[in-house]
Amino acid sequence: MIDENKLKILTESAKYDVSCSSSGSNRANKAGGIGNGSVGGICHSFTPDGRCISLLKILMSNDCVYDCEYCPNRCSIDVPRARLTPDEICELVINFYKRNYIEWLFLSSAVFESPNRTMELLCETVEKLRNVYNFNGYIHLKGIPHADGGIVMKAAKTVDRMSYNVELPSEQSLKLLAPQKTKQSLLLPMKSLSQAIEYDKQNKIRRGKVLPAGQTTQMIIGASPEPDGQILKLTEALYLNMNLRRVYYSSYVPVVQSNKLPAVGAGLLREHRLYQADWLIRFYGFNVNEICDENENLSPDFDPKCAWALRNMHLFPVEINTAPLETLLRVPGIGAKSAYRITEARRFAKLDFDNLAKMRIVLKRARHFITCKGKFYGSDSISQVRSSLLIAGANDENEQLSMFSEPSTALSALTGEI
Amino acid sequence: MKVFITDGTVEAFFTAVFDAYTESNCIISSDRQIQLTLDSQTVCVDSDMQKYQRVLSAVENYDEYAADDLLLALRSCNPQKEQIAFDYIKELLRTRHPIRKRLSLPEVIALNNVLYKVTGETHRLKGLLRFMENADGILYAPYSPDNNITDILMRHFAERLKCERFVIHDLKRKIAGMYDGKNWIIGYADQAEICLSADECTFVNLWKKYYRAVNIEERPHEKQMKGSMPVRYWKFLPEKQ
Repeated sequence: MIDENKLKILTESAKYDVSCSSSGSNRANKAGGIGNGSVGGICHSFTPDGRCISLLKILMSNDCVYDCEYCPNRCSIDVPRARLTPDEICELVINFYKRNYIEWLFLSSAVFESPNRTMELLCETVEKLRNVYNFNGYIHLKGIPHADGGIVMKAAKTVDRMSYNVELPSEQSLKLLAPQKTKQSLLLPMKSLSQAIEYDKQNKIRRGKVLPAGQTTQMIIGASPEPDGQILKLTEALYLNMNLRRVYYSSYVPVVQSNKLPAVGAGLLREHRLYQADWLIRFYGFNVNEICDENENLSPDFDPKCAWALRNMHLFPVEINTAPLETLLRVPGIGAKSAYRITEARRFAKLDFDNLAKMRIVLKRARHFITCKGKFYGSDSISQVRSSLLIAGANDENEQLSMFSEPSTALSALTGEI
Repeated sequence: MKVFITDGTVEAFFTAVFDAYTESNCIISSDRQIQLTLDSQTVCVDSDMQKYQRVLSAVENYDEYAADDLLLALRSCNPQKEQIAFDYIKELLRTRHPIRKRLSLPEVIALNNVLYKVTGETHRLKGLLRFMENADGILYAPYSPDNNITDILMRHFAERLKCERFVIHDLKRKIAGMYDGKNWIIGYADQAEICLSADECTFVNLWKKYYRAVNIEERPHEKQMKGSMPVRYWKFLPEKQ
């Protein structure tokens, strides 16, 4: 049985990994086995920091030979170290899964002994889970840089998703803060995995696919001086060249004292804005140049779509009953679901403002950018639009959406809107 | 105005639809505490399989997926669910075409709002249901959901934990789904006495330890947590005890 303290040490070391999604794999339950994948993903619990627990996120060992500045487990720091055996991990996962505590496993590890040895043990663990314990659930495995390609590919055939963390948004920062990891050691395995996925896709391989839920990566925001524009440029390149499913951002939290690192954290708002921009790139047909210049940061006051719309007021307002889907998706406040609802509903009847409100389309921002049956319901001048969007944004920061929420009177007095 | 009172079953509802369809002004409800108006006249409906079949086939004739939606809506805890489903059926039979995509129709909006709550809770509980293991290795999960969704969850977990035996117990409605490793049934169950297995306590403690360890204290966001995991579900979550 696994020791409580070991679990505590290895969980606390793993908690800064952001990725915790369990979606994208529909692995079926084999006869005599336990577990299956759920395409939509399932969250099993939520911690007081607001993040979900979907996968059992744990390190195999936190005894690292590397010395990355930002890492709480680097070799030059004095913290308690622990290591789990493959069997201990398997037993814990099975028992947690049976009780419906977790969706499956997110296994990562510090590099102990050598990268190859670490990767071999990780690979052994996941193969044991699949073949001995007959596990058919979702496994996310972290790739170890500098590990041998053959072992990585063997692991990739067993798990659902793998990720190599690019760690920092530029090569210079990587050299400064994580000197033992090189750009090549992170990007080459990512590339070869993406080629393997592409090969399966082109040859229409169904059984034993490599990484059915694809690859992701993660980078730390705010530990190095790169502006948002550069980060987003890198993100876009990763989506295009590596076929990644997600890029995760982790806002820097100063847990380690170092003179190479800033003393204050990057804050949650910056991370939030980057995710918003990331969504615009993946689902809304934006490209990075539209959202943000390479040397600029995203605006803290407006979300990226609002900011784009305010720069391009000549494109608005659009008529809700005739605008194509791509245009609707660019209206601030209208998301993929709302756009779908509008395009479906207007095939049968012309929509007016009341219809939209009843269809639960959020009009707080959108009303300034649309017309319904030719009628406009927004503010006239761009400065008024700006201030009311500011109020809408400020409300988001302070509270969750509520039926009865009103814009705060203090703020409307400030901006001049009653 | 006529008020058709059903016993809450699906068959009785469709029978009531058959009887009420020709009335100009009427209400269908299974709610015994319904507020009656001065001129209302109550009719108690008994299930009639013929009428049930006729309404069901009429609905399926115009939209093959509508029956599934209606059955899902009837699981809701919304006291007006029967009336909302009835309005939807009337509109469907009047239009003689599927109306599911006419998203600006009030009948469709009302039904979708009910469905949204039912499917939303189902999805949430697929994650938040917690099993405990008893001495015989049978998994037991007590819970009290807002909507009547035990059999949907049974389907999900029977696929997932194929070789286990488990029980999902809805304490509010006093029903339980039982799976023996091959088939599952739903039955009446009032109270259960559980003799926990030797390991159960250990794993609950490990889970609590894990839950505390994985939290990043430097970035608290309790509101987000409560939004995603409402407090009413907490009493069955070991990590929240």
